[in-house]
Amino acid sequence: MPDKVKTVVDAVRGIPDGSHIALGGFAVARNVIAVAHELIRQQKKNLTLSQCVVGMDTDLLVGAGCVSRLIIGGGSLDRFGPVHCINRAREDGTVESHDYTSLSICFRYLAGALGISFIPIKSLIASEVLDRLEHGPAAADVRRMKCPFTDEDYILMKALNPDVSLVHVQVADREGNCQIEGPRWENEEQAKSARRIIVVTEELVPTEYIQRSPERTVIPAHRVEAVIHQPFGAYPTAVFGCYDFDDAHLKLYVEHVKRPDRVKQYLDTFVLGTKNHWDYLEKAGGLKRMEEIKAERVLGY
Amino acid sequence: MEAVRATEIMVAAGARELRDGQTVVVGLGLPQVACVLARRTHAPALSLLLEIGVTNMNPVDTPIGLADSRIFYRATCWSGFLDILGMNLHRGVVDVGFLGALEIDRFGNINTTLLKEDSGKLRYFNGSAGGNDVASLAGRVIVIMRHEKRKLPTAVAHLTSPGFPGGRSRKDLGLRGEGPQRIITDKAVLGFDRGTHQATLLSLHPGVELQDVIENTGFRMETPKTVPATPLPTPEELRLLREEIDPKNVYLG
Repeated sequence: MPDKVKTVVDAVRGIPDGSHIALGGFAVARNVIAVAHELIRQQKKNLTLSQCVVGMDTDLLVGAGCVSRLIIGGGSLDRFGPVHCINRAREDGTVESHDYTSLSICFRYLAGALGISFIPIKSLIASEVLDRLEHGPAAADVRRMKCPFTDEDYILMKALNPDVSLVHVQVADREGNCQIEGPRWENEEQAKSARRIIVVTEELVPTEYIQRSPERTVIPAHRVEAVIHQPFGAYPTAVFGCYDFDDAHLKLYVEHVKRPDRVKQYLDTFVLGTKNHWDYLEKAGGLKRMEEIKAERVLGY
Repeated sequence: MEAVRATEIMVAAGARELRDGQTVVVGLGLPQVACVLARRTHAPALSLLLEIGVTNMNPVDTPIGLADSRIFYRATCWSGFLDILGMNLHRGVVDVGFLGALEIDRFGNINTTLLKEDSGKLRYFNGSAGGNDVASLAGRVIVIMRHEKRKLPTAVAHLTSPGFPGGRSRKDLGLRGEGPQRIITDKAVLGFDRGTHQATLLSLHPGVELQDVIENTGFRMETPKTVPATPLPTPEELRLLREEIDPKNVYLG
């Protein structure tokens, strides 16, 4: 198997403007912050982002003006507050938002992962979520039908096949075998629905380590295009078993982005004003802060 | 002992809606606290499912949300949306969905997406996430929220998750499950009329006046001639809530 380890700079160079990128985070957990920052540094434009539950990575990319379309189920930064940049962009109409539900996005990825062109669902029925999809920019992606066998009402949705899926994992080898600890939300369906998979791993391990517990491999190497090794790559969001979210930094982020005029200040300080992820981590508190949020082995946070 | 707080009455009332052995999909905040309380008291065999992919967690620290590693602790299964919302909820084995809401109307329709300001400007919030899925598919739905006139309108500003839209039956609408059965607020417990599918008053929390509830409800509501009082939490429930489940008042404060 080939060595697929790449730098985040090279991996992001291979993502063209206008791509549909699926993001692997959930609220304030396992966000692909390292890649989101690099997408912003390389000033990618016109991206479509999809995700079941959005979080800080999505909010950053929207706040930086990289995004023109969202295909999402919902989301927030949990108790830290709403996703201000995303919500504002929807209010202003600067981003075209296709608002679904967690399960309907997951089903669309599942259909994509299975190579079927559509999937039926019993959610969305009799809701304004469906009305807005049917009468908005997503009109071509949803249909109503009755089951040909039982006559029951269903909504049909087109499969999702993102150009690239980005996922942050705890452990991967150089070939791209990925192991995820803790809940996996839509990571598997999302990654396997995409044309290309790029993973960011906290830790690079020998393949022999993967072979000791292959049942934990969620995304196997033959599907993976590139592996980025970036410790604390999801900071300030949490990676179960590795580190907790940084509540102080998340509060600082929310304090900035809740005011439109201060979004730029955050981005200038922590993204555009940093050379790379190590530089960003240094600015965010460095080794001392990372040590403080490092997970305790029994609790995992 | 410190006086009983409205949040404590709410979660105890929520816990009492759950039967031992049931399977529950639970959302953020007070619903979570109510389910944990039920498991620690009368419903030890309750199965708690979180959409992120966690079954029957036993947190030792109060989690701040679904994405908090604290809520993954000592779970019996880690999976994801496809398992929890797909192969459990969509499969039809979830007895109760327990949700919060930005707004809920007289037909139990829930809004978690947006509000219209007086100026006409829209303000967006968290959206559906698993809310629409749970409201569409769970056996019965319980909503827990603050009692304010603007949060209980005649019709929601955006129908994110259906109760009984237009007062129609779930079967008519093509929806599974019995729909919303309870709204538990900091003033009262509401139910739904089986014929009209409209919200009705079931009980008032001790010390709350009927007039107060009527004035703070945006829709007209059937009220019984004599309104029973919502039972207070037991001393053991209060001890569990204050000392073990949410000692830092993340949700109850």
